Amino acid sequence: MESQVNLKGFWYADWSFPIFVAFLSAGIFAGTHMYYVHHIGAFNDVAIVAMLQAGIEGGGYGAAAAFGASFLFARVLEGSLVGILDIGGSLQTGLGIGVPALMLGAGFVTPISNFPLSLLTGAVLGLLVGYAVIGLKKFTVGKANSTFGSDVMMGAGNQSGRFLGPLIVLSACGASIPIGLGSIIGAAIFYVWKKPVAGGAILGAMILGAIFPITLE
Amino acid sequence: MVFLTILFKSLIIGGLVGFGVGAGAARMFHAPKVQGMGAFRTLGELNACAGDAVSHFSFGLGFFFNAWASAVGAGAFTQDVDHRIIPNWAAAFLIGRGKRVEDTLHNPKKMAIVGAVIGAIVVAFLNSTASAIPESMQAIAVKVLVPAANLLINPVMPVIFWLAALDAGKRSGMWGTIFGGLAHLIMGNAVPGVVLGILIGKGVDDGGWNRVTKTLLISVIILFVLSGFFRGFDMNFLTSIHVDVPTGLKDLHNLISGGGK
Repeated sequence: MESQVNLKGFWYADWSFPIFVAFLSAGIFAGTHMYYVHHIGAFNDVAIVAMLQAGIEGGGYGAAAAFGASFLFARVLEGSLVGILDIGGSLQTGLGIGVPALMLGAGFVTPISNFPLSLLTGAVLGLLVGYAVIGLKKFTVGKANSTFGSDVMMGAGNQSGRFLGPLIVLSACGASIPIGLGSIIGAAIFYVWKKPVAGGAILGAMILGAIFPITLE
Repeated sequence: MVFLTILFKSLIIGGLVGFGVGAGAARMFHAPKVQGMGAFRTLGELNACAGDAVSHFSFGLGFFFNAWASAVGAGAFTQDVDHRIIPNWAAAFLIGRGKRVEDTLHNPKKMAIVGAVIGAIVVAFLNSTASAIPESMQAIAVKVLVPAANLLINPVMPVIFWLAALDAGKRSGMWGTIFGGLAHLIMGNAVPGVVLGILIGKGVDDGGWNRVTKTLLISVIILFVLSGFFRGFDMNFLTSIHVDVPTGLKDLHNLISGGGK
């Protein structure tokens, strides 16, 4: 049993940080490969994946690319200042959605459609992000004493997440009457259970939709 | 065959992700001396479970069902797989035998190894069950989810972020409004602009116009100029104020990006 933590060792050192980021990024980027090829397994929220989906369907990758890239930028800066890299904004949204959107938008499909290459691309990007964080940490430490409004953004992010539940019920009601009723009941039950309303609304809509199918036109 | 391919890929992906998340989460407890990765809310939630294995497990489980619904419905795991499920379940497993958090949850080595195993199992489970669901069921979920998500992306999120910027003080409000509006014009969504506006506004509020905030402002301007150029915004702008696009500018666009939109 370790009694003394060795902060210079592999598991704690600054130099090993990019390696951990590379592991995580490889997996997340390959998750986007799974979504692109098999339509499952993207490591992000429905609303953000939908931006990438809009691009895949030909609606332009601009929103996903700009959204992801700006989050990556903001989080790398913040991560180096506060000592915790937010993986949601930097890796899951930035590298997992923003960078693939940039690549797909530029017609650069192979790194995403090929599984081994997607792992490799993710790992290399992860190393870059990791080194950027460590490098910035050395450069900025003690020079900037600000969280750059990340509390404001987190608050707004959580606030928008709350909108998803009611919005799902509304669009379920637009799909068909049984599906709408299902999502209303599901949302109500999940609310009473203190679970996210969005989950109940989706499940309710799917159960009723299985009993009363709708055509996909 | 497709099922086996998915299973095989999922095990690799889950293992890699779990390894990184586990180590990053444990390192968070030693921040800022050690660079961690995860999220502030993850750190807070891990602390809130107070080293109780059952709390850690059931907290992860609540989000697991939500992630499962989302994975089956729309192929999106939600961010909670990385933020909540893997770290909490890894913690629950390690603490399970009545151990102290200092030797378990705070240890990057143990968290990375257990995280990798749990990640592989969770990702394989989510992906294989999601791919086994009949297409008609998925179609319903997509038909319900996509319009809702589209509404969320535009206009709900831009408005929420914008209002948050306005409430966060004069500088954030001003920069958020300027960059948010420009982002909507150029990129079609105001959120990235508002986010960058908050970043600059709050940065200046807290630290003044120092080297970091100046670099930030300049990078943001470069980002906008470049994305405006690559989306042909300059040419569209000239056309809409009834000015002929100079041939030189057209040639430049054709040379660099094969023409604007």
